[in-house]
Amino acid sequence: MRRNRLITYTTNGHVASLDFTHQVTDIDDAYELVMELGDITAEIGATDMIRIVVVNAGGKTMSFSTAGMGALAEALGQMTGDCPDPAKLLAGLPQPVLVGLEGDILGMGLELALACDVRVAVDGARFGMTHLSEGQMPSWGGTQRLSRLVGGGNALELTLGATIIDAPEALRIGLVNKVVPRDRLSSTLDEMAHNMAAKGPIAMRYAKEAISAGLDLSLGQGLRLEADLYFLLHTSRDRTEGIQAFQNKGKPKFEGR
Amino acid sequence: MAGFKTVLYEKNNGIAWITLDRPKQLNAYSVGMRDDLYEVLKAVKDDDEVKVGILRGAGEKAFCAGADLSEFLSAPPPVAARQVRWQRDIWGLFAALPQPMIAAVHGFVLGSGIEMSLFCDMRIASAEAQFGLPEVALGIIPAAGGTQTLPRLIGRGKAVELLLTNEWISATEALRIGLVNQVVARKVLYEKARSMAEKIASFDAAAVRAVKQAVVRGLDMTLPQGLDLEKQLALGLKGAKPNGA
Repeated sequence: MRRNRLITYTTNGHVASLDFTHQVTDIDDAYELVMELGDITAEIGATDMIRIVVVNAGGKTMSFSTAGMGALAEALGQMTGDCPDPAKLLAGLPQPVLVGLEGDILGMGLELALACDVRVAVDGARFGMTHLSEGQMPSWGGTQRLSRLVGGGNALELTLGATIIDAPEALRIGLVNKVVPRDRLSSTLDEMAHNMAAKGPIAMRYAKEAISAGLDLSLGQGLRLEADLYFLLHTSRDRTEGIQAFQNKGKPKFEGR
Repeated sequence: MAGFKTVLYEKNNGIAWITLDRPKQLNAYSVGMRDDLYEVLKAVKDDDEVKVGILRGAGEKAFCAGADLSEFLSAPPPVAARQVRWQRDIWGLFAALPQPMIAAVHGFVLGSGIEMSLFCDMRIASAEAQFGLPEVALGIIPAAGGTQTLPRLIGRGKAVELLLTNEWISATEALRIGLVNQVVARKVLYEKARSMAEKIASFDAAAVRAVKQAVVRGLDMTLPQGLDLEKQLALGLKGAKPNGA
């Protein structure tokens, strides 16, 4: 396991936290980030105990200096042959991923945020798909995930104009789910994470999968996917536990099986 | 059409009123309701006199508070259950209704309640309505299409949040995020639904059906395919022969 240098990875019960503690300023940092994230996400993906992932920018802004960034994807591809973009690593996690956003979430930082499932922003945060102002274009999924989230109109305006918007506007267009005061960010994420971690973990993963994979299917195909996952859950103990607990007006204790 | 235990059906002036009728159980969606609703929807689909449908719930407390959990633990094993699911594909039937459907929802709109309203084309909510998706808290996932229809309507961001956190939202919030089209006072809920239905019923029925098809089927296509579909449907209305005919 690579030493955590750019990302601090901790677990607390069923919740894993990833803090992006360092500003990425050059190509070596970027490479290190991708490698660390690869190791961490592989481990999280393989760990059933972990039910929810919380990503934080560790109090620093989630923007990446664009010095050398333009050549990054190409360079990484050449160095390792098959280096996935880090947004893909986050998007590929089976567990739901919550992300706390403060400061400036620009360019590649926004692309990472888009790869998460729920975005909670601090009220002073700003957002922008600003690659064009550095002569770049998004390469960590920004041209695909932004429009699927906020619609083509908003995505084109933000990306083509390299416009920077504030948190209330981000909330209005659906770019973020919630906006909270700075001193409530941690507790909001904590509460959300622990609340979700108390629900059926397999059901949680299947719900995420049905939504994510389903959006790329026709409605009819998506309904089939949902039905297949639903019937698979019939074979889980957690389903019986959840329903019995409800019938007995008690709190369910899900075991992830 | 009469004789259903759990669903009421009335048709007048081209409007089909479909009422979920298990008010003592908060209109919880049961196997019986599934079977009754399937018959009703089938009949509506084949009835050219029906121009618009309105779906609502009996009683004061709920449009539908979700699936009837008392039936869950004695359900058939998964292989058999899956077979039954596709033998009478009620959600496919709902999605394929040629007539526009309006959901007029009040009180608790939970789980399959929300999902049924999502298969309708428009949703009007009364001001006190509350919406929630409790499935993952029970160790299951929505099975009436919610993981598919909700993100397609309100976007993935909000859909994931509602589905994974079981956060209940008010009618006002539902309006804000696009889950419902209108919020009205409880006492005018059905009046508003009726006047919306009457407006639609007053338009040329073939044109209305063509619009619904163009929008709903088009969303499953690429834009060029969707534009083509629209053109074919529009030509069909003018009585022109579609390309290749």
